[in-house]
Amino acid sequence: MIKLTIDGKEVELEKPVTVLEAAKKAGIRIPTLCYFEGLSPFGGCRLCLVEVEKLPKLQTACTLMAADGMVVRTETEQIKAARRAMLEFLLINHPLDCPYCDKAGECELQDLVAKYGPEAGRFAEGKRQHPENFDDPIIVRNMERCVLCTRCIRMCNDLQGAYAITVTGRGSHSFVEPFSGGKYNCEYCGNCLTVCPVGAIMSRLHRHSYRPWFVEKEVETTCGYCGVGCSLILQMREERIIRTIPRVGLGLNNGLLCVRGRFGYDFVESRDRLSTPMINVNGELRPVSWQEAYEFVIRRLKEIKETHGPTAIGGIASGRCTNEDNYMLQRLMRFVIGTNNIDSTARLYYAPAVAYLEQIFGQGITANLIPGIANSDGALVIGGDPTTINPILGLQIRALWRSGGKVIVVGAPGGLKRFASYEVVPRPFAEEIVLSAVVSRLVKEKELKGELTHLEEKIKGLKEPAEGDLQAAGVSAETIDRMVTDLKAMETPVIVIGPELLQHGRPSKNLFLTAALAYAINARMFVLSERPNYQGVIDMGCLPDMLPGGRPIDFEMFRHKIEETLGKEVPQNKGLNLFEMIDAAADGRLKALYVMGEDLLFSLPGREKTRKALEGLDLLIVQDIYLTETAKMADVVLPAASWSEKDGTFTNLERRIQRVRAGRTISSGRPDWQIVSEIARGLGDDKVFSSAHDVWEEVIHISPLHAGLSYEDISEGKAIWPYHGEPLRGVEGEFDVEGLDSLPKVDTDAIILNMHRPLYHSGSTSRRSKALISIFPEPVLMMNPSDAKGIGVEEGEKVRLATSNASIEVKVKIDRDLQQGVVSLSNTFEGVNFMRFVDYTVEPTTGSMVITNNSVKLEKVKE
Amino acid sequence: MEKVLLKNIDNPDSARIEAYEKSGGYSGLKKAFEMEPKAIIEEVKRSGLRGRGGAGFPTGMKWDFASRDPKFPKYLLCNADEGEPGTFKDRPLLEKRPHLLIEGMIISAYALKAEYGYIYLRGEYPHAKVVLEEAIKEAYERGYLGDNILGKGVKFHLSVHQGAGAYICGEETALIESIEGKRGQPRIKPPFPVNVGAWGMPTVVNNVETLSNIPYIIEIGGEAYSQIGNPECPGPKLFSISCCVEKPGVYELPMGTPLKEIIYEHAGGIKGGRQLKAVIPGGISTPVLTPDKIDCPMDFVNLPKVGSMLGSGAIMVFDDTVCMVKVCWRAIKFFEHESCGKCTPCREGTGWMRSILERIEGGFGREGDIELLQDVAMSIAGKTFCPLGDGAANVVLSFIRSFTEEFDYHIKNKKCITQ
Ligand SMILES: Cc1cc2nc3c(=O)[nH]c(=O)nc-3n(C[C@H](O)[C@H](O)[C@H](O)COP(=O)(O)O)c2cc1C
Ligand code: SF4
Ligand code: SF4
Ligand code: SF4
Ligand code: FES
Repeated sequence: MIKLTIDGKEVELEKPVTVLEAAKKAGIRIPTLCYFEGLSPFGGCRLCLVEVEKLPKLQTACTLMAADGMVVRTETEQIKAARRAMLEFLLINHPLDCPYCDKAGECELQDLVAKYGPEAGRFAEGKRQHPENFDDPIIVRNMERCVLCTRCIRMCNDLQGAYAITVTGRGSHSFVEPFSGGKYNCEYCGNCLTVCPVGAIMSRLHRHSYRPWFVEKEVETTCGYCGVGCSLILQMREERIIRTIPRVGLGLNNGLLCVRGRFGYDFVESRDRLSTPMINVNGELRPVSWQEAYEFVIRRLKEIKETHGPTAIGGIASGRCTNEDNYMLQRLMRFVIGTNNIDSTARLYYAPAVAYLEQIFGQGITANLIPGIANSDGALVIGGDPTTINPILGLQIRALWRSGGKVIVVGAPGGLKRFASYEVVPRPFAEEIVLSAVVSRLVKEKELKGELTHLEEKIKGLKEPAEGDLQAAGVSAETIDRMVTDLKAMETPVIVIGPELLQHGRPSKNLFLTAALAYAINARMFVLSERPNYQGVIDMGCLPDMLPGGRPIDFEMFRHKIEETLGKEVPQNKGLNLFEMIDAAADGRLKALYVMGEDLLFSLPGREKTRKALEGLDLLIVQDIYLTETAKMADVVLPAASWSEKDGTFTNLERRIQRVRAGRTISSGRPDWQIVSEIARGLGDDKVFSSAHDVWEEVIHISPLHAGLSYEDISEGKAIWPYHGEPLRGVEGEFDVEGLDSLPKVDTDAIILNMHRPLYHSGSTSRRSKALISIFPEPVLMMNPSDAKGIGVEEGEKVRLATSNASIEVKVKIDRDLQQGVVSLSNTFEGVNFMRFVDYTVEPTTGSMVITNNSVKLEKVKE
Repeated sequence: MEKVLLKNIDNPDSARIEAYEKSGGYSGLKKAFEMEPKAIIEEVKRSGLRGRGGAGFPTGMKWDFASRDPKFPKYLLCNADEGEPGTFKDRPLLEKRPHLLIEGMIISAYALKAEYGYIYLRGEYPHAKVVLEEAIKEAYERGYLGDNILGKGVKFHLSVHQGAGAYICGEETALIESIEGKRGQPRIKPPFPVNVGAWGMPTVVNNVETLSNIPYIIEIGGEAYSQIGNPECPGPKLFSISCCVEKPGVYELPMGTPLKEIIYEHAGGIKGGRQLKAVIPGGISTPVLTPDKIDCPMDFVNLPKVGSMLGSGAIMVFDDTVCMVKVCWRAIKFFEHESCGKCTPCREGTGWMRSILERIEGGFGREGDIELLQDVAMSIAGKTFCPLGDGAANVVLSFIRSFTEEFDYHIKNKKCITQ
């Protein structure tokens, strides 16, 4: 126990902290500028000077550790004079352009001067000058205002890990440089903006249109970009979002955001937003009233159900919509229309991964806390770059490495490049060989627990790759040794699984191997989630074989329980999944499809097949916020409210449920749950839902998993797995693995087209954000330098990229970290998107899609 | 006194290993290897050697701290940044006596169990770089450096790291940052380098001259060494003397030699027989002395008694034709230029002081400027992150204290008292 006296107050400390923190504990405020909670101490501004008895000089409270018996004074004449002097010094070179500066009103320097500063400065000469810098698309730097606290740099280096900025120059000619168009690794997270105390680094998005006192209302909500679910605050004025900010202490992101969350909010204001319902009349979409649209949908659904039966109708839910929206769509399909034909693009990898792992380990196996990753001592990352798919989760892995943990990346390291202990880069799709080798070796050296006999039996039957197989995979035996040694030594490991693990090769085998590894070393698993609510889609029952709460449809008990509670019949036959619905539409079994918040034509491989299938439908209902490619084909288009315009909840990849709150509805769109509810009522549903809250009330009544979980609990951050309700436990079920006793052939000649998942874009929503588009404006094909050289192209030149599906010209961008033999293209831009080029097959065991037709021809385009 | 540090300096081959060995070089090393590392540290403690880099910290104590830290590897860094204006005493050692330094470093490394050493060399000493690298090569060839030195199982590797011209990189923690490849800026202390230094490991930083004293201490023993010069801070000392003297240069004299003796006997008195006006005794950061103080012995103990410091032992002598306002202005210009920018008072305050001095010197001084200047200096003094800023403030305060009338004259008459 440390006891000290600060301004006459006795302070007792359990563990050693700085004098500043001790004072805070005692309720004593010491002014600071370079200090920022969570960043390493710097001690440069000298504002926090205090007197300490027995020490001749004034001391900086932010760097001095409190010691037993210390007597500290924080408000003497000497200290006041010192503070005044420091502020007078700071104002020497700080321009007094406060009326014009966007920071005015929330500038720490302004506040400090008002409180502690001199009335007037005595410096008579001219201030230093430095032009404002607009090199960056979304950040403006005004280094004349910089007070050189280095908070931005410590943030960028130590927490963000981008190492994009530093101090250049010396003395009063020190400036924070440079961001510059990504050239210097800037990830545009904007976290430096949060910590800059003055107006030196600011967002260009609200330049000269923002003052703190303009903010009429602040709405705490959850980011709509990815499955991490960062908490953020919408600052609203006159119906518009003027800024989104994170807040220290709020949510799992605790003051950090990524570029999409911080700057990508303007998609809700895109010109492309739908403004009215539309009906297709003779091949042309015509605006109609909501009434007409509803009547049309209801009439057509009734007709189709009567003529073809309920199973001729299907629904596609959305990982971008809330739990309430998705619950309502599955409710419409199941309990009103009477079909289990409901699925979503979570089918593309997320749902099969979670389902498969839960089959082996039980429900909730992937529900692990993201903030715990940094405290682990090791991580294996496979199948995708967490720093771009789920950036804030990625930062946790960087932090893990920084604190001395081992990070092993299988595949191109991407944003973990400087944070991986080493990377193992097998030839495309040879991960299976690497994992097989590691698992085989590991179980030889480490005895299994004997808990899961099914799993252990299969591990025993695993074919171990021979020397030659490893060679074909492009990985040495020493690398396998090293991985085995390191994995074995990890005490609190995590395994992070990305989409690529499922979308290539044999998904079940890859998943099985990862599960076996996790089992052998006792790892916590995370499945990266590209959408904010893939997990919610699953938990709300938007699966053809699962009811809300993850209850299998073929258990009569679960169906009965819902029937009793709702007084509605639950169809008992398993429905069609996404791919089966496409097939059924193509061969005429499916007549109507209700697509909510998804652009199937854009998001699925095999575009031609999808197009033909959709064309063959009698009724295509598309409910979206934009006129997507799919919407253009629709018979009826229903405009929805966007993320910032509606209430509800998201379930993130840790299964944490968080509130989404409406800022204000500026579009003519309506909340998805509400539209679905109107249609359900037209089809004979008697239940009235008047708010998202009403919907949630029903969810917690019928989903045993969510039993008793109120909006209040969710708001208080209590909705962390396991909830009050009951997970489905103790189902060590049977599961199958494809090709347990064989290994894949590795094609070494082909050039493979892979999906690029850039930090700045996720799906097509980000394409509608002006801010994000300004950073990543057009489609580019990422190529390894030697592949580029092979066909004689340089960065910025064009190539013709072709598969049997499409042949399109696209600009090249060189990426040193990409494997040779792989080129990658994002699925962002209409016309030149990854999915357009490729096809798929479905692996029966997992129901996951496997990308095919991805071997490409490349040819330089002559100018 | 027989020369220890500058021994053989007139031999054109003094930098070659043959010449060095011939004059008894590397015998201290052989003797040291017969001793326990701990015993060497004890010997250095007994010698009373205090660091020659400026602060005068007891070397044996520093080593003791570092050797007690259980972390390994440990590093030995030689501070050859020699950035303090007026200071050029390390230069003859680096250029003419590199093996003395290398031998000193090997003994120190052996005592500290450090396996890697770096000489952080002032960027503006290109010739020293060539000499040092050649000497290191020779030492490797003779088996004084390497994995198994003289077959005794001692490992020590040494290389030269050249600075890029920043004064602050002479400050030991900034030097460490710089060696690590970072921006040269001082670190928060504690932890001190002896516990958390280069790459987070226990590190000893010693000045060139400090390390060059080690072979002699081993040779004659700590006890005998402690009898040289002032017993409170004993040993031979290099003084670099410059400006208005007849014979500027580097002189090796016992610690505690009176300033007057150095100026008038060794450096040949004031140039042209003019009147002495002021002396800066220990490099630009040390307060200026007036002629009445020159009887003071030059050492760490006595100079503070007359209001200054020994610093690096760089004596700058000014006669009655020199404008003290101008000297002060030039000194502060240096500090402004060299301020690393980390802390507010030094970054902003040095420039402000310079601009006030500039207008006084240029004949545009205003009434109240002296008080303003003093106030700014007081606002810096004691509040900076590292001693650089403090040094700047003390220079201004001491110049005003000692030469108020010159400052006054400048402001009132818009010209210098010397004109
Ligand atoms: C601004 C500043 C500059 C310094 N420059 C030097 C230098 O050039 N050479 C040097 O040996 N010590 C210099 N020092 C002192 C070092 O910080 C350190 O005290 C010294 O290297 C320790 O060696 P010693 O114990 O052998 O004296 C400087 C200190 C400060 C504050
Ligand atoms: S936006 Fe992020 S990555 Fe870029 S400089 Fe700021 S903190 Fe660093
Ligand atoms: S830009 Fe802002 S945060 Fe960065 S050093 Fe300057 S004042 Fe501090
Ligand atoms: S006093 Fe401050 S600004 Fe000046 S050199 Fe030291 S740390 Fe840097
Ligand atoms: S807050 Fe302590 S020095 Fe800046």
